[in-house]
Formats: sequence, structure tokens, C-alpha cells
Amino acid sequence: MQRLAASLALAAATLVLAACSSSAPTPADPTTAPSTSAGNGDAPIVIARDLAFTTTELEVPAGQEFSLVFDNQEGPPHNVAIYTDESASQQVFVGEIFSGPATRTYSVPALAPGSYFFRCDVHPSMQGTVVAQ
Amino acid sequence: MDPRTDEPRITVAGLVLRFAIVALTLATAYIHSTLGGLLFTLNATGYVVAAAAMVVPLGIAIRYRWFIRAGLIGYALTTIIGWAIQGPYYSTAYLAKGIEAALILFVVVDFLRADGNPVTVVKRELAQIAAAVRSRRTGAEAA
Repeated sequence: MQRLAASLALAAATLVLAACSSSAPTPADPTTAPSTSAGNGDAPIVIARDLAFTTTELEVPAGQEFSLVFDNQEGPPHNVAIYTDESASQQVFVGEIFSGPATRTYSVPALAPGSYFFRCDVHPSMQGTVVAQ
Repeated sequence: MDPRTDEPRITVAGLVLRFAIVALTLATAYIHSTLGGLLFTLNATGYVVAAAAMVVPLGIAIRYRWFIRAGLIGYALTTIIGWAIQGPYYSTAYLAKGIEAALILFVVVDFLRADGNPVTVVKRELAQIAAAVRSRRTGAEAA
């Protein structure tokens, strides 16, 4: 299942990169504003830079599968993994880990309404909150 | 044994083994250095220091090479256990752990070839420490 998701994400990322290769998404103030869309329809975007996520709060639709664009802008490998809470004991979704600079589009399964925790599994100090509503 | 250094004379097999240990140590150091973050950087630095200590031709390093070998085994084991607990579990991590497992195996072989039974080594070192302490005490009493 994880491989399928990774393959789908890779295929989607290839399409996105081919379509949007000249216009990299740059949110106006990603540190404070919840992420919305950035060049891939309504897909929220998360950027990794300087061993931190520039977006720490994501708003996503509840009850439906959605795409999440992850833009790793630096060399070290990162991913976005979503857990039920900060203990990170119960996985909801684990995105592929990859080195940058590169972008992947994850297909995240439907989330029940509520607040979730996300982090980079390689660097657990990189974290944020996903709100499904 | 070389009477000047307390270390076995280097054979071709020993040289190849030592080269493999240094190569594997530097390989895992490189992988960790690419991961970013303080913890990984410190881990990589530790491996580089260990690789240097395995070959540096200094008297004290040669005398205590057994301790360096034991330390490298412990260091790699700690790294593997830490990863097993914390993750992350992905291809590069599996590669690094494979390298570290091979490294431990090679260092164990090197230890057994160069130093022999670890228990005997520890007993010998403890006896030398005890002798040094006795000698110092005797000297202090004489003074």
C-alpha cells in the first residue's frame, strides 16, 4: 500500500514538475499563514528549508482523499508523516523520504475531522499541525 | 608481536582488513554527514575520528588499539540500536545499517586477530593498571 502510494506520488510529482517546472510555488508568509494551494490545484504545500518546515499549520478537507505537495528545498532527506498526535505512535500517513532539492506530491487518505500532528521522520524536530475540517 | 608497539606485525590480510574497516567507517560517516542536523553530524564526526584512530601511527593509539576497536564496535552497535528504536526506516538507512553491521563483523575479526580473547585483554589491562598503582604507591612511600 505504501509502495503504491509512493508510486502514485512519484507519478504525480513527475506530472506536476513537467507542468510547473518554471514556476516554483512560493507562499507569501508560510510561517504564519496556514498553507492552502500553490500551483497544484488546491493541494496544500509544505516546504522544507534549513532543517525546518516553513509551513507549520495545514488546513485540509476532512473525509476525502487529498494531494499534499512536499517541496524539499535542501540536500538532506525529509518527508511529511502524519500522526494522530505528538506522541507519533499512531501513523495516519507516511510520505516517501527523499533528498532535495525535489518535490513530491503525496496522495493522503481521507482524514476524519480533527487535528493531527505532522513531522519529518528523519528530523523529528521538524513538525506541524494538520487540521482536517 | 612487535616488541616496540605491542601490536601484531601487519600482514597482507591484516592490511586488507584494516583498509576495509576504514572504508566502511568512512562510508557510514559520509552517509550520516549528508543527513543534516546536529545528531547526524556528531555521529559522522565520531566515525571519522574512529577511522583515523584505527590507523594513526601514534604510540598511544597503537598501544590502546584494542580499546579503539572495542569503542568502534560499541559506537556502531549504539548507532544501530538507536536507529532500530527511532527510525527512520528507508533505503539509505538500511544501507547505512548494513554497512555498520559489516563494520562490526570486520572489527570483531580484527580484534580477535590482533588482540585475541577480549576477556584476556581486559584481565591483562587491569593487571597492568594494578601494577602501575602499586608501583606509584611504593614510590610515594619511599619518598
